[in-house]
Amino acid sequence: MIDPLVIFDLLLALGIVALAVAALATRESFAMIVVFIVFGLVSALAWVRLSAPDVALAEAAIGTGVTGALLLKTLHHLRCATGQPGQNATQAQISAPPVPVGVTLANAAFCGLITLGLAVAFLGAPAAGPGFEGLVAQAMPQSGVEHPVTAVLLNFRAYDTLMEVVVLLAAVIAVWQIERGLSDAPAPVMGEVWQGFARLALPAIVVVGTYLLWVGAEAPGGAFQGGAVLAAVGLLLLLTRAYVPQPAHRGIARGAFVLGTAAFALVALLVASGGRVAFEYPLAHAKTLILLIEGMVTLSIAVTLAALFHGREPMALKHEGKDDT
Amino acid sequence: MTNFLSLILIVLLLSIFAGLIRVFRGPAPAERMLAAQLFGTASVAILLVLSQVMQMQALLDVALVFALLGAVTLVAFVVLAERGAR
Repeated sequence: MIDPLVIFDLLLALGIVALAVAALATRESFAMIVVFIVFGLVSALAWVRLSAPDVALAEAAIGTGVTGALLLKTLHHLRCATGQPGQNATQAQISAPPVPVGVTLANAAFCGLITLGLAVAFLGAPAAGPGFEGLVAQAMPQSGVEHPVTAVLLNFRAYDTLMEVVVLLAAVIAVWQIERGLSDAPAPVMGEVWQGFARLALPAIVVVGTYLLWVGAEAPGGAFQGGAVLAAVGLLLLLTRAYVPQPAHRGIARGAFVLGTAAFALVALLVASGGRVAFEYPLAHAKTLILLIEGMVTLSIAVTLAALFHGREPMALKHEGKDDT
Repeated sequence: MTNFLSLILIVLLLSIFAGLIRVFRGPAPAERMLAAQLFGTASVAILLVLSQVMQMQALLDVALVFALLGAVTLVAFVVLAERGAR
């Protein structure tokens, strides 16, 4: 008899492909977003089945906490911009101009090339090679942490991770350059349902985000996952206008954007000044340094993601009038 | 026991696929959105069962994140829909 788990995996794989096709084929923008959210959810399950709980955690935090809200906000923004805010915004249709056949063909060719490249890389890889697991396991005692993924990300290939942190910083700089806008006045407190939810959920999200950061040293978790979870607090506060970005807070925000990159680079420079290679932490302090970097990066990621969600540099406060969040 | 749990997993996954009908047919946005919210609950269940089947404690954390953050999208949906109607 076939192992039922294999059937589960097959269903999962088929479901992912079907959802991807459906997300592309759906013509109604709102349905498209919902299908994409479900796609993220199911792919998190797939990462779990591939024994990659770290990736699943990141997908869960980003997919459920940030992406959905971001897409919904974008849709709302588009509908306001195209002048349909009068009718029930969620039911309004956006009529995009038809895409020229040439563009479609060029896109198809490009995607086909990528798929081809992936196929070649997959077929060219050794079928049952040892991978890097052995090497990582061998070097673990020198890493200062107990979780291999964290050891690789923050120690063995820390330079790459630093660059990934810079990407987020670059993104928020670009957004603040392009979009400057008014912040709405703080809204009157929302209804009782929201208050009850906020009392229960917000502290819990903060605790879980911090826990993920801390547990990263010995189990799946870490700066990115923790930061993404904490960003959800920012999103909720921004959405309900419990917090409104104020021009006076720009300095603090800028500091928070840079904090992760700065702490990361500073540690590298300090270590290098001691006559070592940039990310060759002294073993006695390795865990402290890694946790320090991760803590700062977590804060940066949380604030940056929330700022990206807000999508503009706050220039002044608006006290009344039409809102366009 | 593992076989039994695996069967439960299949049933849970099929329940998600069944719910997709509501996502595709709609017609109201709220119907699509609430169906997607229910999938979050089903995913938590799948993760809890998987953590037993795969003997992986960390999956409980993933389930925790799903359960906690599932409502964020819903809050965005409700807030933005209300704002648009004004």
